[in-house]
Amino acid sequence: MIQSSSQVSTLQPEELVYRPSGSLRDEVFDAEGKTKAHWEQLLNSFHAIGRTTFEDRINKARRILRDDGATYNIYSDPSAPSNTWELDLVPSLISSSEWATIESGLQERAELFNLLLKDIYGPRNLIRHGVIPPEALFSHKGFLRACHGIQLPGEHQLILHAVDLIRGADGNMCVLTDRTQSPSGAGYALENRTVMSRVLPSLFRNSQVHRLASFFQQMRAKLVSLSPNQEQPRVVILTPGAHNETYFEHAYFANYMGLHLVQSGDLIVRNGYVWMKTLDGLSRVDVILRRVDDLFCDPVELRSDSQLGVPNLLDVARSGRVAIANPLGSGILENPVLLKFLPGISKALLGRELRLQTVDNYWCGDPQDLDYVLNHLDTLVIKPTFRGADMGSVSGRHLTRQQQQDLRDQIQQQPMQFVAQPLLEAGQLPTYNKGQLLPRPALLRSFAVAHSGSYSIMPGGLTRVGVKETSVEISNQSGAQSKDTWIISSEPHDTGAMPADEAPVSLVREADLISFPSRVVENLFWMGRYAERAEASLRLLRTVFMMLNGEEPVSDNCRRLLLQSVTSVTATQPGFTSGNDALIQEPEKELLRVVADSNSSGSVRSNLNAMLYCADESKELLSSDTLRVINDIRDGLTELDTDLLSGVGMASAPEEALDPLVTALMALSGLAHESMTRDFGWRFMDIGRRLERALQTTTIIRCLVVPETPETDQNVLLQTLLLSLEGLISYRRRYRARMGVQSTLDLVMMDTSNPRSLLHQLEQLSHHIRELPRAPDNRHELPPEERATLQAETLVKLSLLTELSAREDGERTQLKQMLITLKKSLNTISDLISDKYFDHRETSQQLVSSIWENN
Amino acid sequence: MRYRVKHITEYLYSGRVSHCYNLAHMIPRTTLRQTRLNNSMKISPVAAHSTTREDYFGNIAHHFEIQRPHNKLVITATSEVETGPQHTAINLDFGTTCEQARDLLNNATQPDSLLAREFLIDSSMIKPSDELRDFAAPSFEKDRPLLSAVMDLTSRIFREFTYSPQSTTIATPLEEVLKTRKGVCQDFAHLQIACLRALGFPAKYVSGYLETLPPPGKEKLVGADASHAWISVYSPSEGWFEFDPTNDCLVSEQHIITAWGRDFYDVTPLKGVIFGGGKSPALNVSVDVARL
Repeated sequence: MIQSSSQVSTLQPEELVYRPSGSLRDEVFDAEGKTKAHWEQLLNSFHAIGRTTFEDRINKARRILRDDGATYNIYSDPSAPSNTWELDLVPSLISSSEWATIESGLQERAELFNLLLKDIYGPRNLIRHGVIPPEALFSHKGFLRACHGIQLPGEHQLILHAVDLIRGADGNMCVLTDRTQSPSGAGYALENRTVMSRVLPSLFRNSQVHRLASFFQQMRAKLVSLSPNQEQPRVVILTPGAHNETYFEHAYFANYMGLHLVQSGDLIVRNGYVWMKTLDGLSRVDVILRRVDDLFCDPVELRSDSQLGVPNLLDVARSGRVAIANPLGSGILENPVLLKFLPGISKALLGRELRLQTVDNYWCGDPQDLDYVLNHLDTLVIKPTFRGADMGSVSGRHLTRQQQQDLRDQIQQQPMQFVAQPLLEAGQLPTYNKGQLLPRPALLRSFAVAHSGSYSIMPGGLTRVGVKETSVEISNQSGAQSKDTWIISSEPHDTGAMPADEAPVSLVREADLISFPSRVVENLFWMGRYAERAEASLRLLRTVFMMLNGEEPVSDNCRRLLLQSVTSVTATQPGFTSGNDALIQEPEKELLRVVADSNSSGSVRSNLNAMLYCADESKELLSSDTLRVINDIRDGLTELDTDLLSGVGMASAPEEALDPLVTALMALSGLAHESMTRDFGWRFMDIGRRLERALQTTTIIRCLVVPETPETDQNVLLQTLLLSLEGLISYRRRYRARMGVQSTLDLVMMDTSNPRSLLHQLEQLSHHIRELPRAPDNRHELPPEERATLQAETLVKLSLLTELSAREDGERTQLKQMLITLKKSLNTISDLISDKYFDHRETSQQLVSSIWENN
Repeated sequence: MRYRVKHITEYLYSGRVSHCYNLAHMIPRTTLRQTRLNNSMKISPVAAHSTTREDYFGNIAHHFEIQRPHNKLVITATSEVETGPQHTAINLDFGTTCEQARDLLNNATQPDSLLAREFLIDSSMIKPSDELRDFAAPSFEKDRPLLSAVMDLTSRIFREFTYSPQSTTIATPLEEVLKTRKGVCQDFAHLQIACLRALGFPAKYVSGYLETLPPPGKEKLVGADASHAWISVYSPSEGWFEFDPTNDCLVSEQHIITAWGRDFYDVTPLKGVIFGGGKSPALNVSVDVARL
């Protein structure tokens, strides 16, 4: 029943009912205006749940999405909050009987596109026989001549096919576009499903929804089957990197399907094969699921300025020694001009027209179409034929007279490069909006994967709804929400024998997966270092704030030494070491800079940004708990500004503003210790931590203990040292109140039972380094990094406290010398490890200038 | 005519190249009027892996990767070919007229003409302009046989433009060539192709070699030859015909074809990606065409 407006006003605020617009076509109602049975059931359930509970579920869903790290767009500034994936909890429902029709239409379409792809990069009979005008193909930038003749094993060239569908005026699904390059969205659809099954478990269970898991199993099986090498094929996902808009999905797929996530720099072509650079050397790659556009995949034969490609990849694919899905060149199928000729293409290749409707396409390269487009801009959406073009789709109706004229000029200059489609009104779906269920126009993206002679269609897909009732553009970029898509069985038993909860259980994880790309390991190493560096800075800053604001006044000299230690530990020189007394007297501004200035390279914020970047780059190896803590740190950084800049923090108790970050960082190191598998990834992260902690401790001791000071000052400095190294309590327990240099040094340097002592770090380092992979060698000589660690460890072990505390010319000379030597050793260890284990890419260049190809 | 062509390319890098990936178009293809008898590619340092294939245009593409550090790369391509004249009887004064040619192309149903239309479309180095069309138009009266008109354009380019190796580089745009009226064979070929496409006639870029004959009574100098470029134009129902605007002639047996494409970019003799290598490598090319 359509609720009339008079009824609406009498509703209780708690009630959750659907208010359709009445004028626009709505999915919920049949031709007679009656609510369809499966919708009736869903809307009744929502009514029963009520608004408050529904809001609770929304919050829970948001939390899960955030914790899973489900984002669509990470901005180039890694500290900026990334866009959490937007999920509307009202699913889109499709009855299984209707779905059967849609599904077979999608299979048929995928089969046609497969044949089309084969013809385009094969005999091109469609051109020879005049089915497609030559210009439609040859003028398109997605037609990659270098890909002519490349073939994947098996009968399918098109492995993945995605389609955007809307409900046309007749209520039937109608295809708007095809995605054949590296279709995105399937991972988001799976995440939506996971969340829905968790926040609305009983509704989900009772609705007999077709399950998604088998689609992904089939996808994995298909990828594996493409391998030229059937013994333990290695399948990787090639991503452009952590800043790609759909990176979440790349990492999610890698985890869910048990595949390696690699970037172009992780791969190299050698001796005619593709290899992944790992700690153990090169391991062969057999299949690449690419999320990089084909034009960018090989700088030798395709776009030569691409940084996202692997030189000579195309030639390896050509010789069949690696399989790439979708194959390079498949982007040509996204050329909308082909849609204009689809009926003819279908008759030529399948012998019949497609059952599933396609939206009309006008190609401006055709004089009649051009004429029509120029005169009907108001009712059309204009698109460039090549998606990579600067211009997106434009709705003629939303342009000013002048803009319309400019567009006409643009089209007339290069008519072949434009198509137009009629502006369609998408069918509406109920969508939760501020306490109400309101109609929103919807778009469904469906997914197909090649499977045993035909295509397997994901039962459902990714539904997106417009921001407003009248939205024309429905895209994630325009802020559209997504929905889970439920195919509702009429029979209770045909949902597939899957567990009720669809939480992703990682598909087979192969034994060889322990060897990940060395880039990932390098990122974990630096993640450890940056996290520790930020933590050390925060701890010291917090302690210095407390000391400066404490009830006992500190002397000028002491104040100077404290502030200078901040500058040294954060490496933000000159800062307080500039000799400017005014700065020492009024330190707030500089301290604030040290905490929050992202442009200052040693600041807490820039260290945390660097750490977040490394975390993004190694995301697929981090547990969901770790991702949650990473999110907390991201949030903490955002809140830092509010807290510090509001003045409240700085003026009264600035240390409190830093507490949440310290806590989150501690949680991170705790998680690394308690929940990370002891593989090489963990080991490198811990090596990073140990090295950094040792370096920071060396610096703090040098700043606070080396200068000779009067006893009152010395007490303050030693207390600061102990507080920032979390040693004050154990110190007091051991030595009571008296602050002594030797006993302090003993605790922070030599005492291996103190997890923050120098020696403890060095012992852990030695242990890790002995466990790292190394080339088999018959000699007994120690490798350089092990020698350097042993040297550092011995240096501390052989030190004598009386010598270290001895004073000479106003400072503790021997302590100073010893700390300088130690710091050098630590830096050497870091260099040796990074030289030996990390990949040092040389910059590549083009043999000949290539200024032409991008014209 | 039978020839042996030796084409030596040498790159001297200012820094060490650790490894590189290259794609060479240096092996002459077999065509209607040319047969490749044999060929060899010698690469120094030795390539770790190489493949030879026919590319999209039917040219011979040679890929190789070098995995050992080097400061110098030398590629020696040696080929023997047997060439013949173009279609037996070209009579420039008969045949398809310009107007007929355009009609036949626009309403094409034959595969040859349909596929030839690929060479009407803008390519990366060739964008026809109104100026180029205006320059070419006087040669192409609608009732004139197309091939006669193309020969006339060939002669006009030869007469009105100065061959001047110093005046242009690979990056000189066509507008500038048209303005300064100076260039080398590659510029003239690009210019003529742009003119033809602007008027609606498909045209290809052809790379290759030209046998140069020593002055009477003198020995021919080894290495004095150079790589050369010319064009091929499509006349519906007649086929493809090669013209050489640099030498004001129809292409003969002395023109040895290496490869063809939409423009130079499709048939670049050597391109690729090198790792390391420093700045501005020195390039030396020597070509020797010997009649057997």
